[in-house]
Amino acid sequence: MIGPSRVAELDMPAAGIETGTARPAQSYWNESWERLRANRIGIAAGILILIFAVIAVMAPLFSLILTHYQPQTINLDQTFMKPGSTHLLGSDELGRDTLTRLIWGARVSLGVAFLTVAMSLTLGTTVGMVAGYYGGWIDDVLMRLVDTVLAIPAIFLFILMSILFRPNAFTLAAIVASVGWGSVARLVRGEVLSVKQRDFILATRSIGARDTRLMLRHLLPNVLPVLIVAASLGVGQIILIEAALDFLGLGIQPPTPSWGNMLTNAQSYFFRSGFLVALPGIAIFVTVLASNMFGNAIRDAFDPRLKS
Amino acid sequence: MLAKYIARRLLASVVVVLGVTLITLLLMDRTRGAYVPGIDFNPSLRPEDIARLRADLGLDRPFYEWYLSWIWGVLHGDFGHSMIDGSTVMSHIVDRLPNTIELTATAILIGMVVAVPVGVIGALRRGSKTDHALTVVSVAGFAVPQFWMGLMLILIFSVTLEQHGLPWLPSSGAYSPFNGGDVLDRLQHLVLPATVLSFFYVSTWSRFIRSSMLEVLSQDYIRTARAKGMSERRVVYLHGLRNALIPLITLIGLELPGLVSGGLVVEVVFGWPGIGRLAFERALQYDYSTVMGVTFFATLLVIAGNLLADLLYGVLDPRIRYG
Amino acid sequence: MTQPLLEVQDLHTVFSTKEGTVKAVDGVSFELHSGETLGIVGESGCGKSVTAMSIMRLQRPGRIVGGKVMFKGQDLTRISEYEMREIRGREIAMIFQDPMTSLNPVYRVGWQVSEPTRLHNGWDARKALSSAVNMLGRVGIPSASARARDYPHQFSGGMRQRAMIAMGLTTTPQVLIADEPTTALDVTIQAQILDLLRDVNREFGTATILITHNLGVVAGMCQRLIVMYAGKVVEAGPTADVFANPKHPYTWSLLRSIPRLDAERHEPLKPIEGLPPNLVDLPSGCAFHPRCVFRVERCARDVPALIQVGGTQRAACWVTQAGTELKGV
Repeated sequence: MIGPSRVAELDMPAAGIETGTARPAQSYWNESWERLRANRIGIAAGILILIFAVIAVMAPLFSLILTHYQPQTINLDQTFMKPGSTHLLGSDELGRDTLTRLIWGARVSLGVAFLTVAMSLTLGTTVGMVAGYYGGWIDDVLMRLVDTVLAIPAIFLFILMSILFRPNAFTLAAIVASVGWGSVARLVRGEVLSVKQRDFILATRSIGARDTRLMLRHLLPNVLPVLIVAASLGVGQIILIEAALDFLGLGIQPPTPSWGNMLTNAQSYFFRSGFLVALPGIAIFVTVLASNMFGNAIRDAFDPRLKS
Repeated sequence: MLAKYIARRLLASVVVVLGVTLITLLLMDRTRGAYVPGIDFNPSLRPEDIARLRADLGLDRPFYEWYLSWIWGVLHGDFGHSMIDGSTVMSHIVDRLPNTIELTATAILIGMVVAVPVGVIGALRRGSKTDHALTVVSVAGFAVPQFWMGLMLILIFSVTLEQHGLPWLPSSGAYSPFNGGDVLDRLQHLVLPATVLSFFYVSTWSRFIRSSMLEVLSQDYIRTARAKGMSERRVVYLHGLRNALIPLITLIGLELPGLVSGGLVVEVVFGWPGIGRLAFERALQYDYSTVMGVTFFATLLVIAGNLLADLLYGVLDPRIRYG
Repeated sequence: MTQPLLEVQDLHTVFSTKEGTVKAVDGVSFELHSGETLGIVGESGCGKSVTAMSIMRLQRPGRIVGGKVMFKGQDLTRISEYEMREIRGREIAMIFQDPMTSLNPVYRVGWQVSEPTRLHNGWDARKALSSAVNMLGRVGIPSASARARDYPHQFSGGMRQRAMIAMGLTTTPQVLIADEPTTALDVTIQAQILDLLRDVNREFGTATILITHNLGVVAGMCQRLIVMYAGKVVEAGPTADVFANPKHPYTWSLLRSIPRLDAERHEPLKPIEGLPPNLVDLPSGCAFHPRCVFRVERCARDVPALIQVGGTQRAACWVTQAGTELKGV
């Protein structure tokens, strides 16, 4: 017999905390934290992400004191400038300052990414816990739904939904999360199924605890490590998806700058300025790289079994 | 046994396919009542023509009726007509599918041919400089946006080379519209998009093969093979690789939806006339019979690919029994 | 005495770990004569398997840092990898502890059993397979020609170990190294496999090294045995003499910890106190002294050499070398 359960083990993180208590022992968190701290590259990547996040949050401040431009200020006398003293990283076809636009673009990329992760985790965890906990036909129905969502090439859904809801950051996150929750649900369900077998759950049940209490107080803490790993590994992927949607014109709409839609524009001016093509891509690349490396560090720290 | 397994899988797939089409339709239906740009805003049509066309396309009926008649049509091999140009959806798909297959198959082939040796070398020389270098490339490969890599390749190999009067590679389409279309011309057009797609495959798969190979090389039967006195090459490629490739088959099967999505973006960047770009363009034009057709088709491909991966798994691993 | 078939001289194999260098094999010497069965006994981690793997030069990631392995006039630690491959599986065959995992799951049993002759004798697939089927039959696999088409998972554990033995024998090697060949098997199957190994030894004249942690296995199988502890040989001699009159406290303790059917009185079993030593940080002097009930002051200070003690045995123990008999405490 082969089926989804076999393949699910392949590349999905699963935290194996073999404690008999209702939640991972304190020492587990301490040890994980110690392992994370020992991973220098991982910590460096994490700090880089943090810096980007700070820049994104303080974008207005930066454009005021550092670049002295607003992201949408047009200056037709200064189009396609090369990087230099006037425009640190050059300017685009409308004379807008590239650095300023990149800084504001970070808001979109990181903001949407974190929002998306939060949404997929919430929905995915809920569905996964309900399916795993109740089992039976509820499990069947929910998991068929997950199968369906995961069987559609996600891009089709994104395209359709982007046409339907003119996306802003929030709806865009919802759109991406509407597919992302599926794999989270599978993950959580698997974890719940294994936790459910342990004695303490039976014991809690036998003293008459309510279902919701059991799920929130006893199951959730046990799936938390899996969620942390899934979340940190997901950020990079979501930044890539978001940028691609922006690039296709399905995401954040101009004139609001995002790394993806800056590239849509740049595409038309290949012959005028290579910087316009290179810079937003480098921004995406570095951010995703740092996220992935931080995510790997988190996975190695929280689930040593998976370390390669 | 096997037939029964396939039958059961197909039955489960029917549920998934119905779900997919229903979701697609529900999404499109929200826009349907409003307008279809190709019809409603066509200046050469009189109002009564518009009404007649809408009725022909079933746009005046509630969505469940439309859905049932669509399903009925699909069961009879009829995917309906495009809402933009009136030709059959099937003809569009038949037109575009070979291009998508050409691109994807090439990329997967290149991906395998490169990823397998790269992964094996990484495993055999674990911890060496070569291994570290390969790791860096692969980690970077995960983080590069495919569309941006495409743009950069165009910038370098089409734009810059052309500006310097050097031989350059075409950046758009599957063949030249004038005097093109021969094998060499198609290959030239294939180079850049296939590079982008296969680069991504290589970075994913080589990692996977590396860790899978490391796992296999620590197995007892590898020790047995060595104790028989065979060369390291024979140990690795005959006794190791086949075991190491088994999980990769599953991975590829699982990632198929992702492959289709990635393919769409690359098709758009390179103006590749495949079904991904067809769906993208037609979705922007609210041509939802075409979008439904392509989505349905893509989902079928994904499901078929998954089933194929499972069956291949059984061929490669004799321990698997379908029951 | 005739020239030994295989002679291990002062072999040293080390592993580099994060904690430090592990001397897994630390100056091991022994001889193997044609047609005999030699037992190597010790707890897990004492270096007996690494010794076997070092003979085959399959000790990676460990390194052989000293000593010789003389086989037919050449030192196996010095010949090229290519020459070594000609020895492996052809002159010296090896079978392993866990038959469940020692066969490649994706190839048919017959194909795997016929591989050594295809490789070493250059036989074509048909000839190699028919000899493999023949050999499978001789090691007691019923309807061998049909079973040869099976995959390993279709074999039981005992059958797989028979197949492993057949695989080792197809090239009629002169030495067969069996590393814990019965440990992973059910008790009844264990006896069958040991019988088979004894038959093989008699019928083919294959000299056998039987590595085990089970003294009971050695008793019925081996003419001579060596006992290893923490990478060193601590006692060596004819099986009957060692059993009757152990000259090393470790052997003595091992013998007391196994049940004996021929015990004159009903004595309680005595487990060995303490744990096997940490190989990175060995105790000073004799590595066994912290667990030894006979220890004297010198044991913690100087390392005893393996020298003649009594008529036929050798032991590395200050106590017995001084002439003291090991008697129950």
